[in-house]
Amino acid sequence: MKTPLIRHQTEISAHVVLLCRYLRKEGYSLGVAEEADAMKALERLPIDKEQNFVMALKAVLAKNSHQYLNFDGQYDEFKRQLAKASDSKIKETPKKKDKKSKAEREQARFDALKNWLNLNPSEEEKQVASYSDMEVLGKKHFSDLSEDEIKLMMRLLKILARKVAHRKSRLRKISKRARQLDLRHTVRGSMRSGGSLHNLVYSERKNKKLKLVLLCDVSQSMDLYSRFLVHMIYAFQNVYDQLETFVFSTALHRVTSILENNGLDKAFDIISDRVPDWSGGTTIGGCLQDFVDDFGYGMLDKKTIVLVMSDGWDTGGPETIENAMKTIYKKSKKVIWLNPLAGSPGFAPDTMGMKTALPYIDALVSAHNLESLRQVLHQLRQRRNISKRIAL
Amino acid sequence: MKTPELSEIGNMLEKQGYISNGSIAMSIFLAMQLEKPLLIEGPAGVGKTEIAKVMAKALDTNLIRLQCYEGLDSTHALYEWNYQHQLLFLKMQEASGHDPKMLEETIFSDRFLLKRPVLQAISQKRKPVLLIDEIDRADEEFESFLLEVLSDWQVTIPEIGTIKAAQKPQIILTGNRTRELSEALRRRCLYLWIDYPDFEKELAIVKAKVPEIDARLGEQICTFMKELRQLKLEKTPGISETIDWARALAGMHLGHLDREVVENTLGVVLKDWQDMRHTQDALSELLEKTGVTSRIG
Repeated sequence: MKTPLIRHQTEISAHVVLLCRYLRKEGYSLGVAEEADAMKALERLPIDKEQNFVMALKAVLAKNSHQYLNFDGQYDEFKRQLAKASDSKIKETPKKKDKKSKAEREQARFDALKNWLNLNPSEEEKQVASYSDMEVLGKKHFSDLSEDEIKLMMRLLKILARKVAHRKSRLRKISKRARQLDLRHTVRGSMRSGGSLHNLVYSERKNKKLKLVLLCDVSQSMDLYSRFLVHMIYAFQNVYDQLETFVFSTALHRVTSILENNGLDKAFDIISDRVPDWSGGTTIGGCLQDFVDDFGYGMLDKKTIVLVMSDGWDTGGPETIENAMKTIYKKSKKVIWLNPLAGSPGFAPDTMGMKTALPYIDALVSAHNLESLRQVLHQLRQRRNISKRIAL
Repeated sequence: MKTPELSEIGNMLEKQGYISNGSIAMSIFLAMQLEKPLLIEGPAGVGKTEIAKVMAKALDTNLIRLQCYEGLDSTHALYEWNYQHQLLFLKMQEASGHDPKMLEETIFSDRFLLKRPVLQAISQKRKPVLLIDEIDRADEEFESFLLEVLSDWQVTIPEIGTIKAAQKPQIILTGNRTRELSEALRRRCLYLWIDYPDFEKELAIVKAKVPEIDARLGEQICTFMKELRQLKLEKTPGISETIDWARALAGMHLGHLDREVVENTLGVVLKDWQDMRHTQDALSELLEKTGVTSRIG
């Protein structure tokens, strides 16, 4: 019984490999090169203290701040599980798979660890190749996320948003990057030196500015999602040049400046303070009409995409919604409606508000997980589908 | 160059006035041992750039710095022909009727080559420290270009040939997380995250940097800064602000903090008007936590 235990303890390299496998499960992307680096690092180190050992592994294996800050905890967890797993592995080998009752009682995580303790490497390799934080998070429902995962998700969202935001215009501007020679400016510059070309001038395509208006429902029925949506607005905030944000439930509030000037948590507090009907009922129609009347003429134009985030539960009449949505549709580049309920399998847009608004929406997208938000970003890039367009 | 032992590194840095801790020393040690670039991230003003400077000093070698910015491209990082110089040279030679072939060889020689930081770092005889500062500000294309150089350690100049690194330079990359760096770059580096220091470390830093400071004042400053960082500010002040402030107050020959002094010198620490207002509102509480008794009552 003791032999395997001893072998585990004497072979540091085996442990490092195990640790790497464990960390992969935790979302690290580690290849053979990293494992080799870890060994090399340990080789050159006076390992008299365990602390040194952990610190060295941390320096080599962690690749971003999230991993760096959580490494110690994960290492301890690994050690704990390893002690447990190597015990049960020994017990398991003679009796094969029949003795499952003990394993069943253990946590799901522990099972996973045991799995890869007995895993064959080729299978594992495949996993490494496809494994990333992003894929795990992509399909997880927002309401199941932990605080840490939200943070990670915000980072992913920001990357995605940035990728989408920068569209190039056909207009050109002078650039430092040597992309394409700007002959006109080069020749003009050469006049100073009597026609000999000293400085080459380059140009690149200008960034096209996209304007975004967010209308976010913060009523009771959206409570679960609104916190997340605010996160999303933040991701957009730094990416889009012109972003206007409104929240509404029974009345419309413009919150652009609060979001611009405050950190996320503070902004969230201020908004819920200032919006008296936070998590109350909804009058979508009235609020949208207010938006059209008060801000519509300044903010809406053919460069502006309007994002409405709401579940369409409305206590007002359908005519107001229809009128407001019609105007918004006509005056904007595109209207995208995010409905968190649309993610559930049996969804049909049959709430009164949703039904009336539907003809004036270019895209109805669910917003319940990262996967669907990616769709939203995709929609932001696409032009309005004119064939679908109704006569107004 | 002999790489120092792990235990020596802390002292080595301290001699140059840099107070480190275990994980910083470990990362530097491993970066030197494994000859890998070290990627340092963390909030502004915690001494990321300083590490490279101190390392160069401690190893008694050159520090070559490449400051990244948007639009930085390979000509700014690698090399460029001094075009104007070449033209002038040609014009001067025109009259004397030299052999054109020889002329060509002359104008594409070392003399007209402007070496930019990366090429400089490669062509040094003694292993230099190459600091690539704020890599996240450069474009993604530049990052990929850098990967190429970092893996091969050679630069090909068509007119001259391939220049291979005599000594792999020790590379330090820093970032402020304004943009997420690519996985590929991260994988080639060792990673170090530096956070705001705890009270003891900050005090040690202040004492090392501003030796003339009054002991009590130093403690008060560090406590104040620690409390200040608890407020959710737009721009949380870093160690460099602490040092500036300590220098300013020590220069005024003060022995301790009081409300008036703090109010008047807050601009040294805070660089944002909203933070300023926010802090002034919370000043009484902050001072109380710091243990400053106000003179007025």
